[in-house]
Amino acid sequence: MSNNAAKHLFIWGSVLCFVILIVLTVDTMGKLDQRAPEITAEVDEGKKVWHKYDCIGCHTIFGNGSYFAPDMTKVTVRKPTGYLKKFIMNPRAIKPDSAMPVLGLTDKEADNLMAFLDWTSKVDTNGWPPAPILASARMDKTAGAGQVLFYRYDCAACHEIGGMGGVAGPDLTHVGSKHPDMEWHIRHLRSPETVVPDSAMPSFDHLTDQELKEIAEYMITLK
Amino acid sequence: MQYQSQKIALNFYTAAVLLFLVQVLVGIIAALQFMWPDFFILNFNTIRTLHINALVVWLLLGMMGATYYVIPEESETELWSVPLAQLQFWATVLAVSLVVVGYIIMGINPQANTQIFGTLLLNEGREYIEAPRWADILIVVSVLLFLLNCFMTVLKTKKFTAVQGVLLGGLTFLALMYLPGMFYTNSMVKDQFWWWWVVHLWVEGSWELIAAALLAFMLHKLLGTEVKVLAKWMYIEVGLVLFTGILGLGHHYYWIGTPGYWLWVGGIFSSLEPIPLLLMVWDAFRTTRETRGVVSNRVGLYLTVSHAIFNFVGAGLWGVVHTLPQVNKWTHGTQVTTAHGHLAFYGAYVLLIVAMMYVTIPSLRGVKEFNQSKGYQAFWWMTISMIFIVITITGAGMVQTYLERLFGLDYVAVKAGYNLWFWIFRAIFGVGFLVGVLILVVDVLTLGKKAAA
Ligand code: HEC
Ligand code: HEC
Ligand code: HEM
Ligand code: HEM
Ligand SMILES: [Fe+2]
Repeated sequence: MSNNAAKHLFIWGSVLCFVILIVLTVDTMGKLDQRAPEITAEVDEGKKVWHKYDCIGCHTIFGNGSYFAPDMTKVTVRKPTGYLKKFIMNPRAIKPDSAMPVLGLTDKEADNLMAFLDWTSKVDTNGWPPAPILASARMDKTAGAGQVLFYRYDCAACHEIGGMGGVAGPDLTHVGSKHPDMEWHIRHLRSPETVVPDSAMPSFDHLTDQELKEIAEYMITLK
Repeated sequence: MQYQSQKIALNFYTAAVLLFLVQVLVGIIAALQFMWPDFFILNFNTIRTLHINALVVWLLLGMMGATYYVIPEESETELWSVPLAQLQFWATVLAVSLVVVGYIIMGINPQANTQIFGTLLLNEGREYIEAPRWADILIVVSVLLFLLNCFMTVLKTKKFTAVQGVLLGGLTFLALMYLPGMFYTNSMVKDQFWWWWVVHLWVEGSWELIAAALLAFMLHKLLGTEVKVLAKWMYIEVGLVLFTGILGLGHHYYWIGTPGYWLWVGGIFSSLEPIPLLLMVWDAFRTTRETRGVVSNRVGLYLTVSHAIFNFVGAGLWGVVHTLPQVNKWTHGTQVTTAHGHLAFYGAYVLLIVAMMYVTIPSLRGVKEFNQSKGYQAFWWMTISMIFIVITITGAGMVQTYLERLFGLDYVAVKAGYNLWFWIFRAIFGVGFLVGVLILVVDVLTLGKKAAA
């Protein structure tokens, strides 16, 4: 190949690739609205708050950003916004050893952020993040009714038992020794705040009495 | 050095290595914050912003310095305007300082980052392009003045060489690809879409063009290889860079809310991206082998070849392992990405600029012989430390992928427990890297001065 031929191949080949990219970009832009909910004024304001506090300097969102803190893409799927709002306004009130600082968010800003994070949680991301394929191993086959409910209602999003689960709330591996009373657990699940002042745990009032009883039974077996 | 005006490159080099030092110092702070989040007055996000912005800015300064050296030599004439180059240099230094002050203020008091004219005053809150809009505009003006100066120089003698063409083409592409990051959109999906145009089309597009041009320039200058042969391979390399890299952009559009066809486009094109990088390695070895006679600037050649190798390893290999959607689904947004980011930037661009410094500074200071031992020392301290940092963080990424993504453990549990030792080792190797940078800074500032006196 002569130098001139190589040069022309480079220039025109690149221009062609760029044109294809632009065509795909136009097509993508046309399809994005069907893949996400409507962007309300709160969502837009929330996005601005996200930028203002440089949340991406610690967190990822859609998997992009910094790797110092958990991904935010689907965060409202596993944890209620009531809890998350409380957390971001004052992380260390809920988790004293939290690595997230108090940023000084106002109540309004936190509400808008929740609208924003709820919006990203509903975007069609081609199935990302994937469900952990090895996680099913954690349910042992002899699990009792209470343990099944514990995972069905995703208490594990916030609580660890035996090293598995979230860290937003206390480790429950030995909670049966700490709170051996069934009634305490039922009352706490119905209305955490009346039992533990300023509790950030969501209420599970919508569960049936039977379900609450079964979960409480499971709790007190954790010695 | 044949042309007095080339000396302006030294200003850029000096600013570049000093910023490199800052980058690595804050990098160590960031690493320590993985263990002690409150270790420093500024939170992790601000430290990280300083780390990656210092990186990008010093590499850009290095590229500008290198270009101010190359253009007069290729055009065989003095630079069009030295005062303009000086103005552009000092304006850039001033703008960068203002931005840094802004980041620090915002780090101490986030409320200070208020909206003005629909944009944020101090920090845009978007990774790599955190600089606020007013600074974006200053940066664009500075780059345009720089390009103007270069193009006017070329027009003085109209010697359109291949190296010059690709170099200035890459720089123009670089300037253009800054623009997609300069507007607000209320959709986070679109935000990320255009953000990747900037980030990906920089490092895997325009910057690689600049690297290929500088590689050809250095091989010619060090080895005296015939330009015609170098130019042909350079065209083939940059052609393949863009044929694979432009549509390879799709490897960032798998999971951000964009349509599914990007999995095919991104997967296919980006997995071909290592090919041109491998060609560059072969190019460097072939020209070196074919050269008869002794090379006087051995350390320059050493760094040039190392750049080619680590460009391939860091960008090519560490990139391709997680570029297929089937793998990326699990590794996306983990420490695997950090490991790749470090080795790719180091191999492709840090070593490129350091090599350019060692190739051009001796002639800028008017010496033929200089003490080369410090150059080797800096190289080995930095490279060995970087290899260990990358091994460490690749380990952390694999543990994270396995435990968090496949097994469902909590992010915080993995970070604070299972990966703790990896963070400790990263910080230790970081200090080794700092030693290398210190040697480099001293050497770049003093190299050849004694011999000249
Ligand atoms: C200095 C780093 C840093 C900054 C800045 C930061 N975060 Fe965090 N964030 C963390 C860390 C670390 C965690 C992990 C939990 C912990 O350690 O307490 C976290 C946890 C969270 C959680 C809880 C996630 C869960 O699954 O329980 C939310 C929600 C959150 N951050 C939102 C935000 C938002 C919104 C912003 C911007 C206003 C922000 N963060 C800024 C570090 C940060
Ligand atoms: C969104 C996070 C979250 C979810 C979901 C959650 N919890 Fe909690 N939980 C907390 C927090 C925060 C606390 C600490 C405050 C308190 O004791 O109320 C807590 C405390 C507890 C305690 C007391 C532990 C102690 O050491 O005192 C128990 C028991 C408990 N949770 C059980 C459950 C059960 C059972 C479920 C599921 C039905 C559940 N939690 C769901 C956040 C959560
Ligand atoms: C040429 C130099 C390159 C540099 C400097 C570079 C740098 C980076 C950086 C810094 C990131 C992280 C961006 C972020 O913060 O989110 C990244 C991501 C990525 N890079 Fe590269 N890269 C280069 C080349 C390549 C190549 C050639 C490939 C593939 C063959 C590749 C594949 C990837 C992939 C797949 C990701 C996304 C990781 C994720 O899903 O989290 N890179 N790159
Ligand atoms: C002393 C050595 C260094 C240390 C200790 C260090 C540490 C760090 C840390 C802790 C982060 C944050 C990663 C995260 O979000 O999880 C980071 C990010 C980054 N650093 Fe460094 N760094 C060092 C040197 C370098 C060098 C020499 C380069 C360039 C070659 C570099 C380029 C980057 C990049 C591109 C990112 C963004 C990563 C990404 O998004 O994937 N760092 N560094
Ligand atoms: Fe990329």
